[in-house]
Amino acid sequence: MADNRLKIDGDLAAVQEIKSVGGDTLKKCYQCATCASVCPLAPDEAPFPRKQMLLAQWGAKEKLLSDPSIWLCHQCGDCTKYCPRNARPGDVLASLRILVTKELVPFKFLNTFYNNLWGLPILVLIAFVYILLVTIFAFKGMPNFFDATSFPYNPNLYYKLGFMKLPARVVMIDVVFLSLAGLVVILMVNAVSKMWKTYLDYYNVPQAYRYGVGTILANYLIPALKEILDHSRFEKCGANSWRATPHKMLLFGFIILFITTGTVFILADFLGMHTPWNPLTHPVKWLGYIGGLLLLYGVIGLMTGRNRAVLENSLKTSYSDSFLLWLILLVGVTGFAIVVFRSIPSLYNLTGLVYLIHLITVFLLFLAIPYSKFSHLVFRTTAVVFDLYYRDVLKKMGS
Amino acid sequence: MANSSILVVGGGISGVTSAIEAAEMEVEVHLVESEATLGGRVSQLRYYFPKLCPPTCGLEINYKRIKANPYLKIYTLTEVTEISGAPGAYRVKLRKKPRYVNDNCTCCGECERVCQGERVSDYDFGLGKTKAIYLPSPMAFPPKYVLDKSALAPGDLDRIIAACIYEAIDPEMKEEEFELEVGAIIWATGWRPYDGTRLDNLGYGKFSNVVSNMQIERMASPWGPTKGEILRLSDGVVPSKVAFVQCAGSRDENHLPYCSYICCLASLKHSLYFAEKYPDTRCTMFYIDIRTPGRYEKFLLRAQREAKIDFIKGKVAKIEEDPETKDLIVTAEDTLSGKRINERFNMVVLALGMQPSMAGKSIPGLPVDEHGFVLETEGIIPVGCAKKPLDVMTSNETATGAVIKALQVIKRA
Repeated sequence: MADNRLKIDGDLAAVQEIKSVGGDTLKKCYQCATCASVCPLAPDEAPFPRKQMLLAQWGAKEKLLSDPSIWLCHQCGDCTKYCPRNARPGDVLASLRILVTKELVPFKFLNTFYNNLWGLPILVLIAFVYILLVTIFAFKGMPNFFDATSFPYNPNLYYKLGFMKLPARVVMIDVVFLSLAGLVVILMVNAVSKMWKTYLDYYNVPQAYRYGVGTILANYLIPALKEILDHSRFEKCGANSWRATPHKMLLFGFIILFITTGTVFILADFLGMHTPWNPLTHPVKWLGYIGGLLLLYGVIGLMTGRNRAVLENSLKTSYSDSFLLWLILLVGVTGFAIVVFRSIPSLYNLTGLVYLIHLITVFLLFLAIPYSKFSHLVFRTTAVVFDLYYRDVLKKMGS
Repeated sequence: MANSSILVVGGGISGVTSAIEAAEMEVEVHLVESEATLGGRVSQLRYYFPKLCPPTCGLEINYKRIKANPYLKIYTLTEVTEISGAPGAYRVKLRKKPRYVNDNCTCCGECERVCQGERVSDYDFGLGKTKAIYLPSPMAFPPKYVLDKSALAPGDLDRIIAACIYEAIDPEMKEEEFELEVGAIIWATGWRPYDGTRLDNLGYGKFSNVVSNMQIERMASPWGPTKGEILRLSDGVVPSKVAFVQCAGSRDENHLPYCSYICCLASLKHSLYFAEKYPDTRCTMFYIDIRTPGRYEKFLLRAQREAKIDFIKGKVAKIEEDPETKDLIVTAEDTLSGKRINERFNMVVLALGMQPSMAGKSIPGLPVDEHGFVLETEGIIPVGCAKKPLDVMTSNETATGAVIKALQVIKRA
């Protein structure tokens, strides 16, 4: 019988960590399973979050890492509302997602900076220094941030790259954000493949059903994305069903802004139609405004809704939550501020400063994908893809 | 100023025990009960712990002792409104509601026969009706009818008065306020079932076949609204699959943050009721932990042996009704298998927790904790479920123990 013995090693450091990022109520859980029974999103075959609460109480990182459930949770808060011990499973799962994110992505110190208030000045400094260095390089020396014709709209500095003629500003942005985006993509692709492999092992998926990336993406990514765009899981939430709509608007806002940025990149960098464009008549500008407004509507809706949910005790707002919300709000506000400052002559020369702040916030938002709660953009998508895939595998194995 | 009498508040099994034990020590005892009869929760049960006796068994012997005792005075329909003073010299204000029936009543029942107006019986937890004039319990003590004026049908009063040859009906009775001076107070106001409609996910009050544990007791009682048959409220059919939902309100910080002590055993007892009457009925008990305090573990073994009962470790947090059959779909995670089950039952019994009767009330001079349990002071001694959730046996132990304390207070004062 010795072989069947289950050895449990409590990982106290992991428990402390979970507690420090918003899961401080974790130890109150007495495993009654109310949560798993009220959860509108948990599947019958693998209900959550009762089991995850137990694993978290023991600090079982490895097991949590290989469990898609924590990402299928949308923090509706029904579990927290009905929890008889006020152990707040919804909030604990949010902290587990941060823990797992930390485990999956290298340079863990960045995760620590992102999820603690004291790390914020360091992050701002990193973003500022990096942007500044690239700016000095692109503008061939330190520009005057209080003169908009020196920064960012210097009319005299151009780079020729083959057939393309790029202003210094564009070169600066391309260098900063293409490098950053490259890093984020590498980190996330690496993390997702690690995550996928642990899921396959955890669920003992037979080799015959372990498809290649192409097959998985072709068959399951599109339905997963459809589901995500639809927010069909999110809308099943009971306690915090109000969140689905603003969250959806926020997502649409991001998508529109992504398309806008892509369009600007192609028009400006490759077709030479350089910005600044007329803020009132240019159609791409208007696309950006719509995206920006949706983003602001979504993020403000989430903030006010959260305050209400906190009063109803179905949700707690931890630092990680407010950090991301405020960051997105700042991205939106500074984005619009650039247009305003640029259009009002008396404020025109402050445009450079606002521009710089906007770039810092966007930089932090990009880097938030591998290191903060924002990781759910990728990891939850992965878990949803896996969920669809695994259900399909089960069906095929059954038939 | 010292007063050597004892006030016992509450005429359930604990209060009756305290009162008679003290009175038999030849001390003047005032026993106050807010209902029209003594007997309390025990009188509503089919059987009570530990030996599964019918309530007549424990109550009648006490009533017999009361009848033979000259030191005990009973006040029914009476509530304490204020306490002042100190141990040895309390001044207690009380309010007595009118019964509209005087001591001439012989319980002949003629009034009931002619009365047409009806009222929902709270004694039967809404499962049955009584006439506007009714005997509060089959074992009513004092054995007297009581009239609910608000339920009278037109002409009822004249018919009732005419039917009563003993001239026992007195519609002019008024509410009275009076005072007592006592040396010590034993507080035995007991408990009430937690309000099941506050458990908004369990369908109590919404789905007809979700009933409470105390409703099962009333149905199982041979003198109850169904004459001892445990039936579905939707169609009057004997259920063949019954779910017991434990901790309905108990051990829950949103409701009652403490364990109500007896509910696990009560549900096990109900599984034996089913086994006794309906051998084809299968029961399933959904629990967090099966709590069988002290020597009651034997009772779990007995239920496992004698009843058709399965156990699922996982609290029920969702119940849905099939609108066609009025069956109930119960959702819980079976934590031992790790799967969530959605199972169909004909009847669901909520093990509603015990809430102290003082919860939500405040009587000047009576110290209570945040849940409504009465706190002990030198001269005010809580007993039974007014003190903490208990079974009958332990309640009676606290009741007899309190008498010694009360006597000490009187002697020392």
